[in-house]
Amino acid sequence: MAVLITGSAIRTCLGDGEGTFSALLQGNTGIRPLSYFEPAKLNVRFGYQIVEAAEEQWFKASRWLACCVREALSQAGLDPESKRVKAIVGTGLRELRAVERWGLENVKLPVELLHFASVFHEVSPKIEVITLSNACSAGGHALALAQDLVELGEADAVIAAGTDAMTESMLAMIGRFAESPTECIRPFDAQRTGTLLGEGAAALVVTQESSSARPLARVLATGLSCDAYHETAPDLDGIRRAMRDAISRANRDAAQVDLVLAHGTGTALNEPTEAQLIRETLCVNGPGPWITAVKGAVGHTSGASALVSLDVAVHCLNTGTVPPVVGLRDLLPEGHDLRFVRGEPIQADLHLAAINAFGFGGVNSVSLVEAVA
Amino acid sequence: MSVVTTTSKESSSEDPRRTSVVVTGWGIHVPNVDLADLVPETDYGPACPPDRAYELLGRKGLLYKEPATRLALCAVHRALGREPGARRPEGPPDAGTAVVVSSNFGNIATVHKVAGILREATVRDVSSLDAPNASSNVIASTIAIWYRFGGPNLMVCSGATSGLDALVLACTLVRANRAERVLVIGVEPDDEVATRLYQQNQARLGSGGALRAGAACVILERLTQVTAELPVLGRSYRMAGIDDITGLPRSALVFGPAAIAPAGARIIDLASRIGDLFGALGVLQLAVSVAMRELVPDPPSDGVLICGNRVEGWRSLEVTQSGLPMQTATPTMLNSSCRTS
Repeated sequence: MAVLITGSAIRTCLGDGEGTFSALLQGNTGIRPLSYFEPAKLNVRFGYQIVEAAEEQWFKASRWLACCVREALSQAGLDPESKRVKAIVGTGLRELRAVERWGLENVKLPVELLHFASVFHEVSPKIEVITLSNACSAGGHALALAQDLVELGEADAVIAAGTDAMTESMLAMIGRFAESPTECIRPFDAQRTGTLLGEGAAALVVTQESSSARPLARVLATGLSCDAYHETAPDLDGIRRAMRDAISRANRDAAQVDLVLAHGTGTALNEPTEAQLIRETLCVNGPGPWITAVKGAVGHTSGASALVSLDVAVHCLNTGTVPPVVGLRDLLPEGHDLRFVRGEPIQADLHLAAINAFGFGGVNSVSLVEAVA
Repeated sequence: MSVVTTTSKESSSEDPRRTSVVVTGWGIHVPNVDLADLVPETDYGPACPPDRAYELLGRKGLLYKEPATRLALCAVHRALGREPGARRPEGPPDAGTAVVVSSNFGNIATVHKVAGILREATVRDVSSLDAPNASSNVIASTIAIWYRFGGPNLMVCSGATSGLDALVLACTLVRANRAERVLVIGVEPDDEVATRLYQQNQARLGSGGALRAGAACVILERLTQVTAELPVLGRSYRMAGIDDITGLPRSALVFGPAAIAPAGARIIDLASRIGDLFGALGVLQLAVSVAMRELVPDPPSDGVLICGNRVEGWRSLEVTQSGLPMQTATPTMLNSSCRTS
């Protein structure tokens, strides 16, 4: 079974979906000096922020998500009043930035705004919304459940979404463990120095195969797993189970995957583990898939990251063009036999893309997306 | 708790939409309340507060675990029927078991604390051991690591209905063949920060009682053979307003706010009685409804669980018995504002 993507919209520090893809093709990055927070206190100097105003706005994750939801619904031509529409929102940090400010600024905080139901209810009160706080793979988990709900006949269409704005407490955890402040994310680079937070949102509409809307791509499956091993260290066995689950649910051969949107956080531990995963599971015959990664350009967008990568993958499938890994200069030794896209975009005949997302706590998702002929 | 062994693999020919999901175990860990008339006494005795969680869990690994994480682990420990202080399982993770946790206030105090430290000081003054607690899914991932559950791991944070939302998603995981067994846990803390945030919102939400810390766990499995009358999770509806909850069957035992009780129906309003467990309430309602069957002679075969508030809306979930259809359907709940799950 599979579901069709009939609408997809993202917001990143590089703009909307078109803006982000075009910036990636040019090798641009959205990194900037950190706004709203104190770099010296945090030991974090840079971030991939969406900065729209001189003063920090409230509930930014909700506002970016609202933009994406309206755009994706419009693209899909979907009327939530006449169809059974549900929404699953994946987030790493909910609106916890509001909790931080509430504690210090003596304001009232409506508790229902910590999750994202009201964003959808402004569009239509009939949309049933569940918010999942599943760290850096939350968007992938939202997509997995969205497909399940459509396939089980529990909804006509499901909006799978993800959103995150940075919190001071998460910035502190990055600064706490960095020897010196990271200047940019260098995915799969030998000289990588760690990850940085990004900000963004994503929403995509998935629906039944029989839908009449013109689809962007087909989601074959999303595999899920939990390492059950360690909170922050990745585990090859855990991510391998997610990849194998995805391939088995999709009913495809691993060798058919011709593009990977890697998780690629620029950390010491993720990169060699993910390289080994791709080598073991996907490089079964021939040179293996093309590999790219977006975090060097848009930062770690946490709950949105899987769906931001997926939107980029859909652009790749539909244009036959793959942007380079922005931030990658010297390939790490563990990746020398793999086909990373470096320096310039490549043109290729692409049919099947895998999107990796591995989160805090060892929560993993791998989505397989196929071009619609 | 009544853990019933079921055969593991389901024949794939069966329509997954018709798969029955049953409750095969429960654990309730709500400190400082008396539920003796509803819940049979267990060998574990009264629920220890989070700072004495070592009584159940053993001392190793609890440092810097937040109260919500500790309470959740205690509820799981009870549901699994593990000995107090039993060694944590070792070996490869059980990929067939998923974990779904519902909580809204779990890491609020840590986030608040770190932001407060940074107002006066720098990251050097923040404990590295607080790092995991900056991520809201720390409860779900800790349970997976503690008991070695390698299946899908979900953390639901969707307000007052999230306990029932978690149960509905757990059924989806089973029906979509993502897990053979799902542990669903509802948990909230009642620390000073969570309590202050809750109290500021209480009047607007229309919630009675104080925020109550506690946890409940239920074990859900696919019904593969009818070995006993097991509670089956049934239909679920979302409703915008409390007035939309009508037509509750008289025969059913209703868990929810007393205001919705139809004449003559038996209603158990846990929030009024012991305090508001908020995102944990839906799971506690299910655990109590199952536990009661071991205590009450001739319990009603049907139940309806209802959670929500006037700002976030409401969700209901029907509970029947395996092999028995719901005695009275609830057709009037199918109005325009209701949606099936």
